[in-house]
Amino acid sequence: MKFNAVETKKDIEQKLHNSSDLKSRTVQFFEKTIVLMYIADITDNVLFNQTLIAPITNYNKPLEKDVITELKEKVLASHEVIEYETIEEAMDDMLSGKSIVIVDGEEKILGLDTEKITTRPVMEPPTSVVVKGPREGFTESIKYNIALIRKRVRTPDLVVNIMDIGELTKTQVGVVYFDSVADKTVVSDIEKKLKKIKIDGVLDAHYLISYLQRNSKSMFKQIGDVEKPDVLVGKMLEGRVGIIVDGSPIVLTMPFVLVEDLQNSDDYYSQPIRVGFVRVLRLLGVILAVVLPGVFIALEIYHYKIIPTEFLVTIMNTRQGIPFSPFVEVFFLVVLFEILYEANLRMPQYFGMAMSIVGALILGETTVNAGLVSPPAVMIVALSGITFYIVPSQAAQFSLLRLAACVIGACLGLYGMLIFCVFILSYLSSFDSYKSAYLAPTAPYIDRDQQDNFKRDLIKNMKKRPKSIANNSKNADRRGDENQL
Amino acid sequence: MKINYRQLSILVFMSFIALKCLALPGLLYVESKNMSMVVTLVLMFVDFIYALLIIDLMKKSNEKNILDFMTRCLGPVLPRIFMAVLIVKYALVVANISKGLEFFVVENFYNSLNWIVFVLPLIILVGFMLYKGIRNIARVSELICWAIFFGCLYIALKSIAGIDVLNFLPAFHEGALPLIKSGYTHMSWFGSSTFLLMLFGKVDFTNEKKLQVVKYSFLAIALVMFVHLVFYGLFDVTSPTHNFCISDISQYSSGQSSIDELSWLVVSLWVTAQAVQLALFGYAMIQAIKFTFNIKSNVFPILFVLIYIFVWSFVGEQTVGLERIFLSHFSSILTIFTAYVIPLILYVGYVVERGKGKPKKKGAKNEKVKVNI
Repeated sequence: MKFNAVETKKDIEQKLHNSSDLKSRTVQFFEKTIVLMYIADITDNVLFNQTLIAPITNYNKPLEKDVITELKEKVLASHEVIEYETIEEAMDDMLSGKSIVIVDGEEKILGLDTEKITTRPVMEPPTSVVVKGPREGFTESIKYNIALIRKRVRTPDLVVNIMDIGELTKTQVGVVYFDSVADKTVVSDIEKKLKKIKIDGVLDAHYLISYLQRNSKSMFKQIGDVEKPDVLVGKMLEGRVGIIVDGSPIVLTMPFVLVEDLQNSDDYYSQPIRVGFVRVLRLLGVILAVVLPGVFIALEIYHYKIIPTEFLVTIMNTRQGIPFSPFVEVFFLVVLFEILYEANLRMPQYFGMAMSIVGALILGETTVNAGLVSPPAVMIVALSGITFYIVPSQAAQFSLLRLAACVIGACLGLYGMLIFCVFILSYLSSFDSYKSAYLAPTAPYIDRDQQDNFKRDLIKNMKKRPKSIANNSKNADRRGDENQL
Repeated sequence: MKINYRQLSILVFMSFIALKCLALPGLLYVESKNMSMVVTLVLMFVDFIYALLIIDLMKKSNEKNILDFMTRCLGPVLPRIFMAVLIVKYALVVANISKGLEFFVVENFYNSLNWIVFVLPLIILVGFMLYKGIRNIARVSELICWAIFFGCLYIALKSIAGIDVLNFLPAFHEGALPLIKSGYTHMSWFGSSTFLLMLFGKVDFTNEKKLQVVKYSFLAIALVMFVHLVFYGLFDVTSPTHNFCISDISQYSSGQSSIDELSWLVVSLWVTAQAVQLALFGYAMIQAIKFTFNIKSNVFPILFVLIYIFVWSFVGEQTVGLERIFLSHFSSILTIFTAYVIPLILYVGYVVERGKGKPKKKGAKNEKVKVNI
């Protein structure tokens, strides 16, 4: 089909409802009418002028081939010129920042990349702060994010598959992995799931999670999320697959195992002995965060006899005159803590400090002085609240579990708490995330992977990729052939 | 949904220690006195041999399940009968664990506890684990196994200073007969390897470390022996009055004056171990029910097991002298038959069947082979 430049322009304007940011410019080129179209705010004007207007208007050599070929090969000053057969194809690309060139009487429309990338600069992400190590974090631009990965990985082995998801937003979603390291069945499974997604728009990476995880209704996260390119590359080197979404600084990683949340990028830049200690502390912190208030309630209500006498006397003294039962007391504090947290999170930053003072000091102090709660209860809830954020990415889940633990502790005592804990273990053991057991390499225990479980071995000793992550088992050696070293 | 060889070894470890550290030491003492440990040692060793025997059969069988293997070795009739008998055995073990757990929880944690408050959370947990299958049970066992081991070791070590070696002397002063009698009477606390029969076709033997089962079994035997040693060393003639070996040796109990700060943690771990054991033998019971009645779905057998635990807990509350069931001839004979006779018949059946299946080499006997040097 041959395109009439003026008619096609009208057609596109009509299809875009005469949108006011749709701009066009008509020029003459060897007696042919050329219409240049673009969307104003997402197109880089300087680039547009340099790659399109100036070359076309200044071209003064004789025409040797047909106009389209001449434009493509000699005139347009762009690294990439795309050819479109239909108006729809051209329009789709124009909406993502490309400029299109409609030549009167020709069968193809040309497209050039003139996208204006508007994004914030590369910064250290607030949830992945490190003492030592790289501070670069992902931004909201998929192009920048891929560049940040490419910067670290100079190998043809890196695969980036980009697809558009979202009927209206047509958001660019990239699947990144190392071809020789990732498990091909996992990659194809992920890509199949992504292609099946039918949704109006994808505004953030988290939109995709429910489509990708197996137990979509489970409260525990089954897909990893990273905000730093060094962490992503580290995970990809173990065989994981990353999913980058345009407009999101979060990159999803799969498969995911629970122990990843107890690990930090800092761990790989510090001494292994310290790392082992810190990881055990983190695990202890998680356990304390979830069960401590529940156990405290259970001990106070049912099992006060097993509290050492001196400690029991202290608790009883502090509880004198408290009108509430231990359960109401702790539950009140837990809910209060949650409210303070939510308020603090959404409050303007300059209020944060004042809020902390009001919440922690004034409110805590006055409730104790007013005789509403006892100091040990405040201490227990505060300790539990702080330890939550040892693993910030699972804090929301833990807060719900803590509430459940409080209720169970109050109703069933220590026995109920034990059954609750085994139930949680059993529940977590039942997950598999893309062929990887959720609690691996602890359950199932994988000997080889203990090098980076609760302890971390020296980097030079970690010669094999983890077995607990589904990856290409034929390429398990981290350094290829050892004889080459 | 297969488990790996290490998980199998851990399940063996857990089943070996499961019933041995509560009422058993005290009960054994009534007949076998200060030589009770010998009874436990011998019977645990027999269980260990049988565990190896069943695992060996498991490796040799190509069938998906025990019923197919039994049918191949013993024909179509016997397997169903054996399965029905195994249901009773598993039911007995489940009853023993659940009642033991209930008494243990009530005694150690509460002044009084409504039976329904005890049984409902347990049913939810066991029901979930049964629904998720053997792999889930194995993984949870893997998570708690070492905590149990070190916890028990800690309790025993902590009390070791108080034992009196003279409590074990004189050795065998009444001869071996009381020991044999005692072993027979308390047989239902043994036969721990019976659950392995239901794991045919569910174990992945690739990457098998050959001595893993041996290692874990010996660890379990050593641990039980050590705990019993401390128990008898501490309590001697008063042993029969102590129903909960693991908690009593640490002098821990809500009703007692001497309280140890860490012991209750260890005792708590024991509760979790028992709950997992309940799920393990519940799983074996479900499999036996499925094979006996040719049921494909898991739902009805699981419901049956859960109702059984619920009813048993209620009945146990209403009746006195549950130990009479576990100490009866019936229980002993049932255990001997299921734990020691069935695997033996199966092994013999397998050897005979394999012998029949082998093609005979004609003329091979008198053939001379010339060797050129």
